[in-house]
Amino acid sequence: MDNAVEFKEVSHVYQADSPMAADALSNVSLSIKAGSFTAVIGHTGSGKSTLVQHINALLKPTAGEVKVLGKAITPDTSNKNLKSFRKHIGMVFQFPEKQLFEETVLKDVMFGPKNYGESEQNAELLAKEALNMVNLPAANFNKSPFDLSGGQMRRVAIAGVLAMKPEILIMDEPTAGLDPRGHHEIMNLAKRLNAEGVTIILVTHQMNDVTNYADDVLVMEQGKLIKHDGPRKVFSDPTWVVDHQLNLPDSASFALELASQGFNFNELPMTIDELADSIAGGSMNE
Amino acid sequence: MNNFIFGRYIPGESLIHKMSPQAKLLLCFAFVIIIFFANNWLTYGVLALSMIMIVLLTGISILFFIKGIRPLIWLIIFTVVIQILFTESSNPWWQWGPLSISAHSLITGGYIFMRFLLIIMISTVLTLTTTPLGIADGVQTLLKPLKKLRFPVDTLALMLSIALRFVPTLMDEMESIMNAQRSRGVDFGSGSIKQRIQSAIPLLVPLFSGAITHAENLSTAMDARGFVDSEHRTKYRVYGWKKIDALAVLAFVAIFAIVLLIRN
Repeated sequence: MDNAVEFKEVSHVYQADSPMAADALSNVSLSIKAGSFTAVIGHTGSGKSTLVQHINALLKPTAGEVKVLGKAITPDTSNKNLKSFRKHIGMVFQFPEKQLFEETVLKDVMFGPKNYGESEQNAELLAKEALNMVNLPAANFNKSPFDLSGGQMRRVAIAGVLAMKPEILIMDEPTAGLDPRGHHEIMNLAKRLNAEGVTIILVTHQMNDVTNYADDVLVMEQGKLIKHDGPRKVFSDPTWVVDHQLNLPDSASFALELASQGFNFNELPMTIDELADSIAGGSMNE
Repeated sequence: MNNFIFGRYIPGESLIHKMSPQAKLLLCFAFVIIIFFANNWLTYGVLALSMIMIVLLTGISILFFIKGIRPLIWLIIFTVVIQILFTESSNPWWQWGPLSISAHSLITGGYIFMRFLLIIMISTVLTLTTTPLGIADGVQTLLKPLKKLRFPVDTLALMLSIALRFVPTLMDEMESIMNAQRSRGVDFGSGSIKQRIQSAIPLLVPLFSGAITHAENLSTAMDARGFVDSEHRTKYRVYGWKKIDALAVLAFVAIFAIVLLIRN
């Protein structure tokens, strides 16, 4: 099985048959490879969140078919059996700390595994493993999640998703509002999971993360998929990127500034390291 | 979730939109009172006709009004059925113990149905054409006489406007929490009653904690901007009585007079 996710001509209309009907996705076809690190980018309101919510069956397509890990969802799929569908798909929402509710951190992280039928002991093992992955000190396991700091709450919430051992992990702007260190930790966690074979789907506005971590990029605009390519190819045409109200990664825009002053680049550098290398080995136009 | 109509204002430029909120509130109450004076088909017909005129005047699609009625449809059906079955009559068509159906009970049921429909429609007109802030402002204006009795009208209006303002916010928040818990394996609205009650906890705890956070942030923001309770403050929008309000009152007086003339 090569594709973790397949969309076939998927459309989604919010509040169909009402005066407020709004097209959120129109005729999107795509496939996401198992084991890939896919970034979803696009302007606010471009349909990114709507797109990823289909992968978790939180939304059903109003037309077309979504196939995730071999199981299909169509507009006619019954709402009853979606739970088994969601079991292998983890979803970290924007500001996931809002989902915390249990008395202790450990119990909250055990909530997901227990819902999917794990025994009490197993759930506890999975929860502790997940909490270790997000680097939460064991001294906090029996505290109330509401007594933790914002960054710690975020990590507990992410652990709550990881404890379900998802095969596909969807993260919707997981680092919004975090300090640089927290940001770095979470992105590295995603990288580590990806190396272990988890398919990562990251919704983000941070173009640096796209070039640093992702190997595949989906660009959304007004409910349509306008580009699906590797990060290098997506950012290779700066005019196209700016025309679609997106930003360049810092290294690329820095390089463009240098180039406008006469510095030569063979290729637009996508990461800080590439930028440093090409500056070290580059030359000025005289 | 969005079939919940209250607190969903639809912007527009119609005559009804332009009326001042206090006039709309007052006439809304007046219409409900007029409805209770109706007691035959002719009077209900007059009211239904006026209602249709009002709805057309708002310029808002009829679908919004249908959506406003939908959540209450079971309550209406239940009440109408009870009314039909328990109205006593001398010559019933069908009888079983205290239950009976007759021409008379069907007519009473029809009246009850009309009453419900008209009351819901007129209040939907109010909420669709008036911003929540406008409604709070209208309440404040109408309650002003109570100030003489040292009743904290301004504070009450502020509380009301804050409450109305946060309805959509909390609804959106509820939606996102439900989605988060769904992806952690919660199945809302299925299973035994016990399971259903249990599945409310992961929803309610974050919702309440979020509401308290909102309240704290809001009070900090109000303090930061120098809010002092029961201080006289000016308003960004001042709603006075306008010509259109006077016309609307006249129209309602006319409707009331007609209803009084043709009722039994």
